[in-house]
Amino acid sequence: MSEKKENTSTEEVNKKKVSAPASSIKVIAREIFKDKVALTAFIVIIAILLFTFGGSLFLNAEKVTETNIIDAYYGWGTNGHLLGTDDGGRDIVKLLIMGGRNSILIGMGVTAICEVVGLVVGLVSGYYGGYIDAIIMRIVDFIQVLPVMPIEIVLVTVIPHYSPLSLVWIISMFGWTGTARYFRAFILSQRGRDYVLASKTSGSSDFKIMFREVLPNITSMIIIDVVIAIASNIGVETTLSFIDYGLPSSVPSLGTLIGFANDPVNVVSRPWLWLPATVMLLAISLSINYVGRALQRAGDARQREN
Amino acid sequence: MAKEIIQVKDLKVHYPIRSGFWNRITDYVRAVDGVNITINEGETYGLIGESGSGKSTTGKAIVGVEPVTSGEIIYHDVDITKSKNRRKLNYNKDVQMIFQDSMSSLNPRKRIEDIIAEPIRNFENLTTDQERDRVQELLDIVGMPSDSIYKYPHEFSGGQRQRIGVARAVATNPRLIVADEPTSALDLSVQAQVLNFMKHIQQQYNIAYLFISHDLGVVKHMSENLAIMHRGRLVEIGSREDIYNHPMHIYTKRLLSAIPVVDVEHRAENKKHREEVEQEFQNDQSKWYDQEGRVFPLQQVSGKHWVALPKDELEREELKEEGRN
Repeated sequence: MSEKKENTSTEEVNKKKVSAPASSIKVIAREIFKDKVALTAFIVIIAILLFTFGGSLFLNAEKVTETNIIDAYYGWGTNGHLLGTDDGGRDIVKLLIMGGRNSILIGMGVTAICEVVGLVVGLVSGYYGGYIDAIIMRIVDFIQVLPVMPIEIVLVTVIPHYSPLSLVWIISMFGWTGTARYFRAFILSQRGRDYVLASKTSGSSDFKIMFREVLPNITSMIIIDVVIAIASNIGVETTLSFIDYGLPSSVPSLGTLIGFANDPVNVVSRPWLWLPATVMLLAISLSINYVGRALQRAGDARQREN
Repeated sequence: MAKEIIQVKDLKVHYPIRSGFWNRITDYVRAVDGVNITINEGETYGLIGESGSGKSTTGKAIVGVEPVTSGEIIYHDVDITKSKNRRKLNYNKDVQMIFQDSMSSLNPRKRIEDIIAEPIRNFENLTTDQERDRVQELLDIVGMPSDSIYKYPHEFSGGQRQRIGVARAVATNPRLIVADEPTSALDLSVQAQVLNFMKHIQQQYNIAYLFISHDLGVVKHMSENLAIMHRGRLVEIGSREDIYNHPMHIYTKRLLSAIPVVDVEHRAENKKHREEVEQEFQNDQSKWYDQEGRVFPLQQVSGKHWVALPKDELEREELKEEGRN
């Protein structure tokens, strides 16, 4: 093995090729393809993304959510509705496409905001340490002990002109704290390294050291956290929609579809209403987590098998 | 007499020890406790001591990356322990550092070009082409191939990486370089290589070094003046001859006796000498250190030679020294 490694490295030197240290993309690809479960999960994610985002291109949002009581509660495969219809006569497949897309988009939106805010806060907190760190971490502690779900429900009900975008902001308001904590830990371990001192003696500003020197060294952690955060944020959105405090009723979501299971009658006799959305949520969450674990192995050499 | 470039006056770096219910400061770790050093232009000043003696902390304080508890570091008549003064002077353009661990001192995600160019970008206004020429020139000086600029630190051997560290340190034509055990992580042949590069650069650009090391052999090769440090304080300072030929303090003697000597015929003799010194060190602690185990203030012996001993002990030691001659 080591011999093989040496060969490749000398080849690289001969070719004068530039290779990134432990080239992250290659390592990630290798980890995903080596693990059959991760590979399946990866394919499932791609399939769901194609199904929801691709499908929604051919659908008209208003038409999908149009009520037509005459068609209500068709079962599996009746009258050309593959997965039947809901109480308003809306086609479940189309709702699934639109709802899945909305849920994933909101999960991604929340993740984007949380990661950016969490990263900046974590960088500042971990890099400066001392009083700044203490103050920021106490604020984070405070937000983390708040009962997030009830506050979100209250905010959803009191906000005027409520829209999917407001939901994204409301979830993000409480979501960034975990990310900040996570990144702070990595920055803490990086900031004492000699290359940071070397940058200081080279006259780089703190800002530059944080974003140009330290940040590239934790990129693999960022990728991992982003992937896993998307799954959990889709979960938060569907939970809120499930109890009717999520997306407005005019916007389909996985949560509202699963919400049909609130009615015992639906649970027993109309499984087509809630089962597809549940399966889809389960599939995407599990898949993202499996891919995330493969990424984690790629990011941390100690977790790798070879 | 050469002009002095930097003066360290009564430098102290203390770290608080917190304990108890309120997490209050109960004591201090005196990493550096009253160190005075003067370094002249273009000279190599050796700073020697065991691990944990505070020599690296002193070096870091001089470069300005370690907050100082008290004391002054005078450069160009300004106290650079204050960050405001450092910024005003562009201090780190003139004072740079070479680190012990070359792997961790080079950012693994940056190419050699960006690593060496970092101080140039911060302190000098060069166009991209001029900057690249300068980096090439620096790589030439430390004897690295020119295609290195596109590579990453992990693609080099330890000696090559340390030479990259040297190239970065000299990039802005500094007046003083603090070399913090620059060769202790390298094997002997590579050590010599790096040291020769450092000497070569010194002669070419008249750079002063503060050479921090625990290896007396290396320091003998490099420096004219040196200081021995123990428990955060200086135990002996002097010229190379003073320290190597007339060591006064037991700690210095102990360090010197620890240098391995290839001398088969006198092996038993050398061993006996080593054991004598060790015996003296173990038995007469009170003679060399005060009640708290701290090192005494320095007393002048002759010209440049100072040793940390009480007055009466110093006289006795001098008599003993004379008797021997």
